[in-house]
Amino acid sequence: MSKSKKSMMLLLAGMLVVLSACSDAGKTKESPKASAVPAATGGTQTAAGSGEAGPFAKSAKPITIKIGKDVDAADKSLPAGDSPESNPYTRYIKENLNIDTKIVWQAATGKDYDQKVNLSIASNDLPDALVVKDTQFRQMVKSGQLADLTEVYNKYASPALKHIIETTQGLALKSVTVDGKMYALPNVTTESDMVHMMWIRKDWLDKLGLQPPKTMDDLEKVAKAFVEQDPDGNGKADTIGITGPQLGGLLNADFINPNNNNYGFDPIFASYHSYPGFWVKGADGKTAYGSLQPETKQALSKLRDLYAKGLIDKEMTIRKDAQELIKNGTSGIYFGLWWAGGYGPLADAIKNNPKANWQAYAAPLDVNGEFTPHMGNPTNQYLVVRKGYEHPEAAIQMENLLLRDESKFDVKVNIGNYPLRIVFAPMDEMDVTYKMIKEVLAGTKKPEELDLPGYKLLKADAENIKKVKLEPYDKLDIQYWNPNADLGAWKRMYSTLVGMAPLQQPYKKMYSVTYSQTKTTESKWATLDKLEKETFLKIIMGAAPLDSFDKFVQDWKKQGGDQILAEIDEIAK
Amino acid sequence: MVTKGFAKHYYLMLLPGFIWLTLFSIVPMFGIVIAFQDFNPGLGMFHSDWVGLENFRYMFTLNDSKTVFVNTLFIAVMKIIANMIVPLVFALMLNELRIAILKRWVQTIVYLPHFLSWVILSGILLDVLSYKGPVNGILGIFGISPTLFFAKAELFPFIIVGSDVWKEFGFNTIIFLAALTGINPSLYEAAAIDGASRWQRLWHVTLPGIITTVILLSVLSLGNVLNAGFDQIFNLYNPLVYSSGDIIDTWVYRTGLLNLQYGLATAMGLLKSVISFVLITTSYFLAAKFANYRIF
Repeated sequence: MSKSKKSMMLLLAGMLVVLSACSDAGKTKESPKASAVPAATGGTQTAAGSGEAGPFAKSAKPITIKIGKDVDAADKSLPAGDSPESNPYTRYIKENLNIDTKIVWQAATGKDYDQKVNLSIASNDLPDALVVKDTQFRQMVKSGQLADLTEVYNKYASPALKHIIETTQGLALKSVTVDGKMYALPNVTTESDMVHMMWIRKDWLDKLGLQPPKTMDDLEKVAKAFVEQDPDGNGKADTIGITGPQLGGLLNADFINPNNNNYGFDPIFASYHSYPGFWVKGADGKTAYGSLQPETKQALSKLRDLYAKGLIDKEMTIRKDAQELIKNGTSGIYFGLWWAGGYGPLADAIKNNPKANWQAYAAPLDVNGEFTPHMGNPTNQYLVVRKGYEHPEAAIQMENLLLRDESKFDVKVNIGNYPLRIVFAPMDEMDVTYKMIKEVLAGTKKPEELDLPGYKLLKADAENIKKVKLEPYDKLDIQYWNPNADLGAWKRMYSTLVGMAPLQQPYKKMYSVTYSQTKTTESKWATLDKLEKETFLKIIMGAAPLDSFDKFVQDWKKQGGDQILAEIDEIAK
Repeated sequence: MVTKGFAKHYYLMLLPGFIWLTLFSIVPMFGIVIAFQDFNPGLGMFHSDWVGLENFRYMFTLNDSKTVFVNTLFIAVMKIIANMIVPLVFALMLNELRIAILKRWVQTIVYLPHFLSWVILSGILLDVLSYKGPVNGILGIFGISPTLFFAKAELFPFIIVGSDVWKEFGFNTIIFLAALTGINPSLYEAAAIDGASRWQRLWHVTLPGIITTVILLSVLSLGNVLNAGFDQIFNLYNPLVYSSGDIIDTWVYRTGLLNLQYGLATAMGLLKSVISFVLITTSYFLAAKFANYRIF
């Protein structure tokens, strides 16, 4: 508590210093206050013409930054005549920083975008700046394609941005530093983006007279009831118990992609103390690989059993879109993050059926009745700049601006249209938001009191909550909400209150020994990973016997796994 | 001479094709060197480290290599055979049809799928063969419990071949129908006067009339034997059927583009090209021998 207060003070002090530096340099008559508040009016010539560096300095000459962009095909929020290249956000950037963003290529968010980035890397034909994933980042560093951002970061990153990166206690910076040089701007996600939990149709539970499942046995019982007892009451046996990962999705998260694995089975594995894909501490004190442990075989055996009984979506991993099952009300259970509710498929689900009462629980629990999820790491997006680009600071300035003003943006236009957006959130952002919103609802805090620096959306959240939340405020079921008042606000608030509630109880956080890669992973991991993912999938879907697990363990060790394990153990020391 | 002038002008028409070939087939060939390098995109083809045959050595240690090679060969050969027999039989049947308008209708309808891409057709197929789809519905009437077709590795190659035939047989039929029209009708009249039955006319007039076309097409398709159809398989497969459905092209795509193992992927691609080259040469030789088909 005192620590966070102290850092807050430091942050404020830092901000003041920079702000006054800016205004001095700018030689304008504007007060620091005026330059701190950006913008809707535009054209604050804070540092124009001076050539002096600053987080928010507006360039005298227009700078052009060429980017590759992911676009969400389902996003219909752009005003008529606007495009991913020219929209309120890009104009805002132009107005405030004099940066023109040019899109050299765009691809659909997700797999398509990844492939396009891979192509750009392979052909060495990179835009000036890009947002990439861990493996791509490593490939680019290895290929010497990236600009060293160390100096630019020190000079241009805003204090707020630096503060958030510092809240990770060096984890974020470590992940982008190679040989002492910083090759990317790491993002920081809130800790709650790492915890996978269970979402379930509470209206179905109520209809069938069941309690929310706590243990694996409960879960199986409920899933069985969901499949067999026609919970949607349409007279047809067309309901699915547990949603599974879609085509190309992961059965479980792993140390390379530890966060945000919606529709996987992470909580089920965790309830057996099985952490496939993560580096765990073995009984002998040495590092072990979670996928090889007997607990994992046990969890696989259970999943196989559930699948054979028809309690898991029969067509998982063949389906193009797992969300469909939730949107159209076919499925009753899925696993995902706090935001996999409102931000996920639920907005469409309640459009189709306003009574679909999805609630989140920290479940299933282990034998001791504890919730023991695996944790991720705070960085999973990397903003990189091409080697040789003249204005690497432009990319960083754009993030400064995003962080400072995200709460002021009119989110009617999907925030995904902000160029080069990566997530910046203090590790405890969602926990703080949850607590503060509770206080606002209880009347003990006012929105005006919540303009905490760093917690960029908090004030807006406090203002929005009463628009969409109906009384009584402590009841979270869907009938106590009014999504139609403001669907955008509802998405966030429902996710926050319903999705974060289970994480307010203490739970056992299981961290991987490391989230970084070694020399051998670069050449051998793809093969090992493929072996693992295919074996597990086949075991669960009944296409291979359970005992093929033992052969997998042997093969994994033989094909370079033991070597990687030794290297990881070395890192861990 | 006038004729000479004409000839030159015709040669000019080769130019666009020549440019296209150079740009898209000959220039990219230099990329082959990646197979012998630890390719580093930042350094490019000219400066990356040479590793000799290391990529090939590693490739042969992988279980995958054998699997994808066998799969490719199996699927491609099946496709060649099925795509030869089905259109041929269908063309012969159509040829016997005496109602001209019906013949034209049937022809039009069966060749329609040819014009749809695999992206669209795969969507339809996945739906039709899904767990609650119509095929399982019909099987259900006969008391057969539903099958998840796209999760069964042993069925996958047959789904691939079957759906490929469904898409292409109508179009391939046209070639045979064209060959059939080339047969002199007086042969049929003569055979009829000699008392040949319909079956005998088919056997002794029609088939010998188009046999050179059949041989030519089968021999030429040999050159294509390692192209088992990237589009189709890419749109239909999933990890459960990799063991029987993963082909060289899809494997190269995943390894090179998704896992960023450029050298390894190129090595596999090169191996495919070498084998294809041998097959094309052989098929050209065979075509010259049996069907008297020569380009040069």
